[in-house]
Amino acid sequence: MRKYLARRALYAAITLFGVSLSVFVVLRVLPGDPLVAILGAEGHAQMKPDDRARIMADLGLSDPLPLQYVRWLGDIAAGRLGKSFFRGDTVAEQILHRGPISAEIGVLALIVSWLVGLPVGILSAFRPNSMPDGLARALSVLFIAIPGFWLGMLIVLALLFWFGYKAPILIVHFWQSPWQNLQIVAGPAMVLGLAQGAYIARMSRSCLLEVIGEDFVRTARAKGLREWLVVMRHALPNALLPVITISGVLLGFVLGGSVAVEQAFGVPGLGRALVTAVIERDIIVVQNLVLLYAVIFVGVNVLVDLSYAWLDPRIRYG
Amino acid sequence: MSNPTNEPKRPSGVDRRTFLKRAGTVGAGAVVASRIHRPGAAAAQDATVRPDPAAKRGGTLRYAVHNAPAHFDVHQSGTVANIGPQSPMYDTLLRRSPKDGQTIIPDLAWKWEISPDGKRYTFHLRKGVKFHDGADFTADDVKATYDRIVHPPKGVVIPRTPLFSTVGDIVVLDPHRIEFRLTEARPKAFMLGSFASGWNIIVRKKTLEDNQFNLRQVMNYPGTGPFRHVSRKDKEVWIQERNPDYWNKGLPLVDKLEIYHMMPFSPELGSSFLSGKVDYARLLDPVSWRKAKEMQGVTAAAFNQSVIQAFWTNTVKNKALADARVRRAIHLAMDRPTLVEVVKDTAPMQVGGFVYPFHEMSTPRAELEKKLGYQKDIKPAVQEARRLMKEAGYANGIRNLDFVVRDIATFKLWAVAIQAMLKEHLNIDSNLRVVQTSVWFDEAQAGNFDLAISAIVSTLMDPSDIFSAWYGKDGPQNYSRWTNPAFHDVASQVERELDDNRRKALVRKAEDILEQDPPLIPVAYEQIYDAWYNKVHGQNPSTFFGIYDVVRWDPVWLS
Repeated sequence: MRKYLARRALYAAITLFGVSLSVFVVLRVLPGDPLVAILGAEGHAQMKPDDRARIMADLGLSDPLPLQYVRWLGDIAAGRLGKSFFRGDTVAEQILHRGPISAEIGVLALIVSWLVGLPVGILSAFRPNSMPDGLARALSVLFIAIPGFWLGMLIVLALLFWFGYKAPILIVHFWQSPWQNLQIVAGPAMVLGLAQGAYIARMSRSCLLEVIGEDFVRTARAKGLREWLVVMRHALPNALLPVITISGVLLGFVLGGSVAVEQAFGVPGLGRALVTAVIERDIIVVQNLVLLYAVIFVGVNVLVDLSYAWLDPRIRYG
Repeated sequence: MSNPTNEPKRPSGVDRRTFLKRAGTVGAGAVVASRIHRPGAAAAQDATVRPDPAAKRGGTLRYAVHNAPAHFDVHQSGTVANIGPQSPMYDTLLRRSPKDGQTIIPDLAWKWEISPDGKRYTFHLRKGVKFHDGADFTADDVKATYDRIVHPPKGVVIPRTPLFSTVGDIVVLDPHRIEFRLTEARPKAFMLGSFASGWNIIVRKKTLEDNQFNLRQVMNYPGTGPFRHVSRKDKEVWIQERNPDYWNKGLPLVDKLEIYHMMPFSPELGSSFLSGKVDYARLLDPVSWRKAKEMQGVTAAAFNQSVIQAFWTNTVKNKALADARVRRAIHLAMDRPTLVEVVKDTAPMQVGGFVYPFHEMSTPRAELEKKLGYQKDIKPAVQEARRLMKEAGYANGIRNLDFVVRDIATFKLWAVAIQAMLKEHLNIDSNLRVVQTSVWFDEAQAGNFDLAISAIVSTLMDPSDIFSAWYGKDGPQNYSRWTNPAFHDVASQVERELDDNRRKALVRKAEDILEQDPPLIPVAYEQIYDAWYNKVHGQNPSTFFGIYDVVRWDPVWLS
């Protein structure tokens, strides 16, 4: 098991190193000048070459790229994560302030996806080609197809025009006011969770259909067990492995999707901070947030791998 | 005088001579005022902002405007992201009246004098004014502020610097008197407008020195303004409180400002206003604004923005586009009323020519609408455009033009429409290349485009500002790299002419040249949509020009 763990950790470290290097290089290679956002179009147009040189030096952008990269790694190691180009706030401060909201959205979305996806999948699998199955399949295709940001905007507009309601516009953390916090995170979590729930429903349906044809399920039925016991005790645990796998992958979708969905709901989370940083070309913020998302994604996938090993001894000893 | 500590006392008695003198002045004033078509040219030295006698004090004004600023140095900024939240903390030498947004009135200077030759501007500064850190305000602070604006140090870029290109010396006469000596006279309206610009806030000399004359990363530097910094959450809200030591006694009227950062034209801004989460919203999208207009207890206003939405043709890179006939043909092929219609649900626009269509010196709208290129029926314009293309040797059109589009909804909509118009009317083929804002300005400055669409701002409505910045030979926003000696000569005369009537004639002459040899193609002029709940009193921007001059909230009160 230790060897397995060490191997996974090594792969994760290599992946993160690759991500850090590629995001660092890509952000510096892409066209676009951060000084436009700093000085505005008029100021940028008036800027003389020596002004540019001075400002770039102040921002630390005129140093050789390897030096900039090493300095960034040093900042990460020190937990500072560098400073925004613009307002001088550290990225660590931004993450501490906005991160909890985005994390809540991610976790809630995952819970919603399981709570919705799994029962629907089970229902579909045990009544294949019935009307409920057809309805569940149609709805899951619908939720997979609808873009989250669009659904988010519809929900915001419907709540506004029908009930005159809008969620709080400032960040309220759970420990400050659970009720207000729930109003902020509920919408995005539902939108993201339903979309991921649709994947889980489809995956759990197909896995269960495969498993319920197996000999051990037939044996369980032959023993006279009730159908729900057959499902819960015998079929479901054996069908869950692929669902767990896809949940890890789906967390990536949740992270990616949260960028647009936070924007649609006007939630001041990390996703929105990333959008703003991209627009402003605040590359220090972008590279740190992308790396953070990569760390979360890789971390969750390592956990998924470990849970495999725990759930299935063949993998542990393989 | 309700504020005798700041301004010298005047004798209260009125004798016969004084009466006759004042009557004569009032009479002359009335004659002058009757000749002024627009309040833009007006300047009222005795109109310091006073509180509305009916005003109630107290309360919190929740105001939503634009995203968070990229930095904190107002002088170095060109965006409402700075002016919106930071203006309430600062004052300027002169200001635009919050009543009409145009008349120039006293601010930190309670009086000013202009020498007969127009080359000396002397400002009398208020006494007893204190910065938020308790320091006294003096002429040294004005000098330090303007020295930096006029001659920015290395690494500091101030877009308003060209407005003061004729300022030679700034001389402190005494702690409360300062003189600006010009190397060459400029029209009063231009100079006073520059001093009254909301961008030119007065900051402490010591603040500038302590920060090596760069305030980009200094969030809370002391001003003398009606509100003081309390706290700020990046990209969320900036909270300010009433300055109890404000020099203008009785102001401000609200106790607290909560300034929310929200993307302009965004559903987030619209929904925050419509749900009552903010009291005043600036830069609303048209759909939310129309909804607000229908709501009871809400006022919605539209006013002119200091921006031109334009289309550039690279006269250096592309031989065909260097030909004035081809550029005029493109200018004529634009169906402007349709272009305004195309974006009506994204941003409010109006048709205009090369000078702000609402400026007193530009061609009046009714006259403009009779000209080719601005008519609703575009057939005659297209016919003329085709004739010009034939004459220039491009009867079969032009192929493969690189059309760089700034990645903003209005420009993307327009780009598709313009591409179709050019193809249909002139057989000009172009390939759209949508790029982010920062890339667009990079490409435009480097000349990496054939056609390009975006928007640019000016500080003043005055034609001299735009003639130099947008159309000047080395103008920072002359992205077409356009030159026309006849125009530059007229523009130089416009800059120097002190007589309004002669200046107006020169502006019209310049417009005629631009019509025939366009440096850019005007697409439209933007309007701003604001809305507020009727409990907010003391501000109605309907006659304002732009969103950069009157944003201090000192006379605003809540019922």
